[in-house]
Amino acid sequence: MTATLPGPVGATSGAGAVPTSPALDSPRSPYVRNKPTRSNYEMYAWLFMRLSGVLLVVLVLGHLLVNLVMGDGINQIDFAFVAGKWASPFWQVWDLAMLWLAMLHGTNGVRTIINDYAERTATRLWLKLGLYTAFTVTVVLGTLVIFTFDPCPVGASADLLPEFCGTTSAATPLG
Amino acid sequence: MSTTTAVLDDAARTSTDSKGKAGEIAGFDVTIRVRRYDPEKDTEPHWEDYTVSAYSTDRLLDALHKIKWEIDGSLTFRRSCAHGVCGSDAMRINGRNRLACKALLRDLEPSKPITVEAIKGLPVEKDLVVDMEPFFQSYREIMPFLITSGHEPTKERIQSQHDRERFDDTTKCILCAACTSSCPVFWTDGQYFGPAAIVNAHRFIFDSRDEGSDIRLEVLNDREGVWRCRTTFNCSEACPRGIEVTKAIAEVKQALLTRKL
Amino acid sequence: MQTHSYDVVIVGAGGAGMRAAIEAGQRSRTAVLTKLYPTRSHTGAAQGGMCAALANVEEDNWEWHTFDTVKGGDYLVDQDAAEVMCREAIEAVLDLEKMGLPFNRTPEGRIDQRRFGGHTRNHGEAAVRRSCFAADRTGHMILQTLYQQCVKHEVEFFNEFYVLDLLLTTGEDGVRRTAGVVAYELATGEVHVFNATSVVLATGGAGKVYKTTSNAHTLTGDGMGIAWRRGLPLEDMEFFQFHPTGLAGLGILLSEAARGEGGILRNGEGERFMERYAPTIKDLAPRDIVARSMANEVREGRGAGPNKDYVLLDLTHLEPAHIDAKLPDITEFARTYLGVEPYTEPVPVYPTAHYAMGGVPTNVETEVLADNTTVVPGLFAAGEVACVSVHGSNRLGTNSLLDINVFGRRAGLAAAAYAARAPRPALPEAPEADVVALLEGLRSATGTERVAVIRAELQETMDMNAQVFRTEASLKQAMTDLDALRERYALISVQDKGQRYNTDLLEAVELGFLLELAQVIVAGALERKESRGGHFREDYPDRDDTNHMRHTMAYRSLDAAGRDGIVLDTKPVVTTRYQPMERKY
Repeated sequence: MTATLPGPVGATSGAGAVPTSPALDSPRSPYVRNKPTRSNYEMYAWLFMRLSGVLLVVLVLGHLLVNLVMGDGINQIDFAFVAGKWASPFWQVWDLAMLWLAMLHGTNGVRTIINDYAERTATRLWLKLGLYTAFTVTVVLGTLVIFTFDPCPVGASADLLPEFCGTTSAATPLG
Repeated sequence: MSTTTAVLDDAARTSTDSKGKAGEIAGFDVTIRVRRYDPEKDTEPHWEDYTVSAYSTDRLLDALHKIKWEIDGSLTFRRSCAHGVCGSDAMRINGRNRLACKALLRDLEPSKPITVEAIKGLPVEKDLVVDMEPFFQSYREIMPFLITSGHEPTKERIQSQHDRERFDDTTKCILCAACTSSCPVFWTDGQYFGPAAIVNAHRFIFDSRDEGSDIRLEVLNDREGVWRCRTTFNCSEACPRGIEVTKAIAEVKQALLTRKL
Repeated sequence: MQTHSYDVVIVGAGGAGMRAAIEAGQRSRTAVLTKLYPTRSHTGAAQGGMCAALANVEEDNWEWHTFDTVKGGDYLVDQDAAEVMCREAIEAVLDLEKMGLPFNRTPEGRIDQRRFGGHTRNHGEAAVRRSCFAADRTGHMILQTLYQQCVKHEVEFFNEFYVLDLLLTTGEDGVRRTAGVVAYELATGEVHVFNATSVVLATGGAGKVYKTTSNAHTLTGDGMGIAWRRGLPLEDMEFFQFHPTGLAGLGILLSEAARGEGGILRNGEGERFMERYAPTIKDLAPRDIVARSMANEVREGRGAGPNKDYVLLDLTHLEPAHIDAKLPDITEFARTYLGVEPYTEPVPVYPTAHYAMGGVPTNVETEVLADNTTVVPGLFAAGEVACVSVHGSNRLGTNSLLDINVFGRRAGLAAAAYAARAPRPALPEAPEADVVALLEGLRSATGTERVAVIRAELQETMDMNAQVFRTEASLKQAMTDLDALRERYALISVQDKGQRYNTDLLEAVELGFLLELAQVIVAGALERKESRGGHFREDYPDRDDTNHMRHTMAYRSLDAAGRDGIVLDTKPVVTTRYQPMERKY
């Protein structure tokens, strides 16, 4: 009766004052508004997903077209065909872009799905750990392969190699 | 109750209680499975089944009332207008967010138990009642009011029919939280402004009379703004007013992009 | 228990409450106490529009509007109040537009207007386009816009605080004045005392005394009830409006705008029966006339449907595109709740209890009256809870949205002005005692009666005996039933004994208000031996200006044994320009 307690409703029904259902009905991170950052990071991240998606459509379709349709179609694919492509910086860049964009795009997508649908913190942690490991392994190996690829390994049978390798030793790839 | 619906004897119904209802009305028994939680008694929520008799024009709200009024008075839920305009009774019905007063029992597969639980993502206070304060806090932060500068006209502001039509869809919002609490992003992250706040920002951003778009867009450009939306369309599906929520969010994104780039 | 101190406390956050809060909140320390979250209020269910003589689409002026209001209310309107309302209507609409309300627009970009029941040009010549609207969700837009402005002005809300008592103290000067209110916090079960200089009642109506009603479950006459229990009078309670077009059997409102846009009422034989009852404006006659005509068609066996117990609202001759543009929500109601497609089938409709014309008596400054003239200092009321009286015996369509805006604004200004000049009154001894006793009494009651059963019987007897048609016999029957129900109410118990969100307890409290208000309605109806506006006595089918051209004032009395009763008195009607004429349309 003596104390005068002014205050808006927020003060009387705020989170924490009332014990609530423990069964994950509330957001895992309760409402606390962060300070505005005034950065465009989120927008660029969002844009990246869309643009990389569009680029990937071009890259993947181009890849499929060149590999599977043009020329002799799938019958042409052998070591010589791949080696011939990667001898060209154009295809090196193409495939490298495809690898990086696909992995970044895909990993980010799966990350959000894990965040959305894996309810337990530990599950999320392990799934994401696995995801990032897979990402790192794939990207590192893939990049290494593309850049260190030798189209004319010594001692290989000539009929397996691309034409430009010549008969004796590895030649410089076509400029 | 997963077997068949028990059709009541029609003779039990007098002509007076069919008063005014159009067409034939078949009676049936329906099981409502409610997720109950009483903070003064329970440590964990639990499911409870209630079987009530209903008619095909009955809504879920009628069934809940029947339970509260005839079986268990402690069942707690919010409701007011009972015809889908006040936004009190959004709940998760058979796993989808609906207004109890707009969900007809006959559309909810009444042959099986109908599950009813509180909307997700907001702290449950009791049974189907959640704490709405975080939801309204997000709403308030997008500055949901007309912002203008300069002198007010003596008469009304002029607005063309086309300009008025531009934001008509998002003026329908009743703040029931069905959209926001259906959003997987909001379930994870309570900081996300959520569809309802964005819808209400949209209502002003696209109002030709408003001059506060820049401030609102800046708010929604941040970490917890529109870029979190992953277009799962849960919100559009949940909206009892038929607002194209996901489209509205996309239009806000578009406005941000055209402004920044 | 907690105690709070404010300059102004507003009870209710519907249209009137929030309109008051916008004014008071900018001028004084204001709290809004509301049983529901603000945007849940029933203002949001209003559909058709808000009339004001803007003359945007055709010639019009506020004097014509005043005349229509007076005639629509069957001359029981206080004409000075109606003048205030209709004159300030124009400013009220423009204010809302400036707050951002998205009105529909004319091709020139002005606020569009449409026809509405009872609104005519030049004193009844023909229907006039006066209603400013936003599709068929004008009330929704008003409620949202007002809430938005409250957010803008950072009005302090106490959501889900149920006000259960009005504190009145008698000062050394012998004047009985307001000291605040006592509220029950639903979330925690805690009782809060609000010490306030000004209190504004804006709690809305009491439609739940009837079974078939367009009103929300929460419209239980709380504001009227707490004033009544504190010995304040209630005015003209026997006048209850029945809206003609409720969805048959459900009572859900289909706006008069459906008829304003060209919809036609037909009986079971397909006849446009309103041509017989109101040859000039037919389906757009005022609500009491249309509702009675519909009920009469059904009573005389010309109803539609298997039981011939409703009539039909026919929109099938309208273009679907036109229906979609102007009446989207109500056509959806017909589809959702009755499974009727309004493009191709007529919609079953029947009158539904809609609006209490009566309420807590106030003057045009919204000050509450303790009798015919004495003001209760610091107490204000606006909206459906109040009786100014601008609606007389029958409210014209759209005038309720107008009422809440005009008198809500006035209440906010008056409350703030009073709080600025008057000191904060001291609280009475143990201010919370009555509320605590009421709540604990109900919580610990061990009776066998159930709230839902008594409420259903109350609504049943009111629908049966005190609805569109009333007679001495039916009203006496209702009174007998109500007396019995009051006795049974003393024997109820609630199942939920908890503190948090105890809506079981809440419904029990609400039923108490409903029962007492129903008695006031029936007592007034019994005494009024005439037919006027919304009150139709079959045993006295004519208006009797000689004996009944006056307001009913009901007072609560207590006998020696502490049992309450009703004492009826009258109050003269304020007449300025218009002398009573026969009401023909």
